[in-house]
Amino acid sequence: MKRRHFIYTTALAGGGLMLSFQASISRAGSTMPLPAAEGVEELGDFIKIMPNGDIMFQVIKHEMGQGVSTSMAQILVEELCADWEKVKVDFPLINMARYENQKNGGYGTGGSCTLTYAWDLMRTAGATARQMLIEAAAAQWNIASTECYAHNHYVIDKRSKKKLYFGELASLAAKRSIPQQVKLKDTGDFTVIGKGKSAKLVPLMVTGKLKYGLDTQVPGMLYAVIARCPVFKGKLRKFDASKALGVKGVKKVFSTAPIGGLQLHAYLPYDIRAGVAVVADSFWAAQKGREALIIDWDEGQNAQSASEDFEKLAQQRAMRRTDPTGFIGDENAISDLAHVRKTLHASYVFPHQVHSCMEPLNCTAHMHADGCDIWTGSQAPNLIVDEMERVFRIPKEKIKVQLFPSGGGFGRRVYPDMALEAAYISREAGNLPVKMMWTREDDQQCNLAHLFQHMEYQAALDMNDKLYAWYEKEMVTYTWAAKYADPQLPSMLYDIPNIRLDTENMIEDELVHSSAWRGVVCHGKFLSECFIDEIAARLKVDPVAFRLSMLKEGRDVFVGGEYVLSSSRLIKVIKLVTAKAGWGKSLPLGKGMGIAAAPYGNSFCAVVAEVSVASQKLKVDKITIAVDCGKLVNPSGASNQIVGGIVWGLTALFYGGLPIRNGRAIQKNFHENKLLRMDECPSMEVHFVDSQDERPWGIGEISSPLGVPAVLNAIFAATGKRIRKVPIVLEELGGV
Amino acid sequence: MATFHLSVNGKSFSVEVDTQMPLLWVIRDFVGLTGTKYGCGMAQCGACTVHLDGKAVRSCSIPISTLGNKKVTTIEGLSPDGQHPLQLAWEEMDVPQCGYCQTGQIMNAAALLSEKPNPADEEIIAAMSGNLCRCGTYPRIKEAIKKAASIKNKKG
Repeated sequence: MKRRHFIYTTALAGGGLMLSFQASISRAGSTMPLPAAEGVEELGDFIKIMPNGDIMFQVIKHEMGQGVSTSMAQILVEELCADWEKVKVDFPLINMARYENQKNGGYGTGGSCTLTYAWDLMRTAGATARQMLIEAAAAQWNIASTECYAHNHYVIDKRSKKKLYFGELASLAAKRSIPQQVKLKDTGDFTVIGKGKSAKLVPLMVTGKLKYGLDTQVPGMLYAVIARCPVFKGKLRKFDASKALGVKGVKKVFSTAPIGGLQLHAYLPYDIRAGVAVVADSFWAAQKGREALIIDWDEGQNAQSASEDFEKLAQQRAMRRTDPTGFIGDENAISDLAHVRKTLHASYVFPHQVHSCMEPLNCTAHMHADGCDIWTGSQAPNLIVDEMERVFRIPKEKIKVQLFPSGGGFGRRVYPDMALEAAYISREAGNLPVKMMWTREDDQQCNLAHLFQHMEYQAALDMNDKLYAWYEKEMVTYTWAAKYADPQLPSMLYDIPNIRLDTENMIEDELVHSSAWRGVVCHGKFLSECFIDEIAARLKVDPVAFRLSMLKEGRDVFVGGEYVLSSSRLIKVIKLVTAKAGWGKSLPLGKGMGIAAAPYGNSFCAVVAEVSVASQKLKVDKITIAVDCGKLVNPSGASNQIVGGIVWGLTALFYGGLPIRNGRAIQKNFHENKLLRMDECPSMEVHFVDSQDERPWGIGEISSPLGVPAVLNAIFAATGKRIRKVPIVLEELGGV
Repeated sequence: MATFHLSVNGKSFSVEVDTQMPLLWVIRDFVGLTGTKYGCGMAQCGACTVHLDGKAVRSCSIPISTLGNKKVTTIEGLSPDGQHPLQLAWEEMDVPQCGYCQTGQIMNAAALLSEKPNPADEEIIAAMSGNLCRCGTYPRIKEAIKKAASIKNKKG
């Protein structure tokens, strides 16, 4: 595929330079350029350099705490040679016509791939603006542009040391043609990339000035909540709104069933629970109105179901043989009695989970005669526009979406259901602007959930006690990963002669609709790090030594997906983390250390957990992490992501899961569905390897699926007990 | 419904609302200050923390009719210029990720520092464990509170 950059400039009214840019991986190998934008002021992705020197960077990627607006700005500022303090970030109205590509220049934000795809684009954009400013200055001084350079917001004449401020040059630069070729900095000359920067939005966050979707205020706006069917696939039979309508402030009550049900989007299927909307002049009145509703649900096929039933079904199906999804060596090696002397079996379960974004889901919508206006935080506004067009038959160009940073996305805000609910309610309320809000109870009880994984493992040892065959069967509740990950083998690098992966789908049977969650499929897949530990224990070999014995320096492996994986890079993070954590040191009774290591995308991570177990209590004392994420753009933000990912995993370990009885999620709020708190948070140390890579790889998700296996292995080291299911049952730990 | 007079960040407001409406929604939807966040509605997460006469409270669980004459301070009123030692420390230590819970964290920490200008680690943990952060910023929150304490003490 060819990559092309499209950069546009325009002079700003009142002076200054605006530079717009996008990249497109042209489809089907075609090199047709996208049409130039007509209304330049509506361009979605640009930087503005104002006459006073201030630079505004409009970020089209979704900022949800992962820090992309800051790290993208760092790449831009590096090449632009701008003053970091003069750069602000903002979030524009989207313009689908210009950013339809999913990757690279597109809006979609997920899979920890923003910086990887933005790298070339941001560098080229920054270097282009820098070159134009240099040329503008050279023209002023009547010298060759090669006689000038840019530094810290000035263009400087090499000889005379005369200098002109970026702000003074911006309007002149805007009149120049865009250079066809620009020279990027040598990576050795970087002064901004690789430096820890506080996130650009922090001053707004700490003063309460940052607006999230939930803070939207539109003149004449009403508020809505929806009573959604508590049972997945249930339907609305009938409802009595008379009492609800008697609540002061309640304006309208109506069914949302017409937009309810499974949404079989080819790329990301999702679900909207049928319900009853209550529209009122305040959130509180809407909430009170909802409490007064009397609703008769047709609870359908799941009315009597419990999550335990589903897990049992997964266990049964995991035991039956299916056709291999992929294998190397002999697909039947696990039962080849000519070689196999001992076999090990284990079942691991990582159940459905809730996202618990601190900002509950919400969307403000205003349907009107000429289309629809949407205000929300979204990881995929492109899906909002697609689905709005499909469901309401509104032409895409008449759908305006104002994006906000989100109070957490974690994969949940990829799905467009909030926009459809809000738009439907706005229309039924009489084309009035409506802020549709989910309460925390809605979030816990009627939501999409993290996908379920049951991992069935078998290992065969040969007569020399070598690991001869690995068999892994994954029971899954997702279809979409295959589209862009296409896994053919287990996500591991160990050099085992015979490896087989089977997968079997359970989508038809699940009791809640699966979705993406931080770390996505790796929460189940990386439990292989526990089974590897079981094999090491059987062989009475140190878990780290066992791993290293099966990792060969220089050996690259393709397991499916986008990248060929490097054993050398995994070895490096394992060696770094074990050195930093003091692996092998003697620990008192009741304490133990465990390790887990894996690639994620093209990044590599190893985690060592140190735990204490005493009288049915588990304390995670310390977590040490080593990461190779390629070129490190922002060590401060990256470290935050790694620490946050561990906390994410520990919440799943201690409190996760989504227990369902009689078809209903039984946990209602944070008193039942707990999140890790400060008093449970271990001390953490993050180490980055000094990578030789020229570009950055993902950082936002890599640690999230590794905390659980590291802690489970540490529990074994401390107690000799294997825990194979999340969340942990403390009673099973025993005491020491 | 009834009319309530309240003082928020030193300014007076009159609102006509349901007597049971929590202070949180009065602040957000009627006074119009959105720095105070909704997270759970039942005093479990601390995102809605404000000060009543200087004490940290969960505004989601205080019906407006029980407010009385207590003076409300929200994140917008913590410091006139956004230069409270906690705000400075939060920026210096790059604490927030998504930022949504952080106004509540800061309001809770501010009440702690007014009571205990030099809190020990255990005191910080005890005071802050009622505030949830899904992004997992706890280690930096703890460090930033200590940093803020030292900034505050330097300023006198």
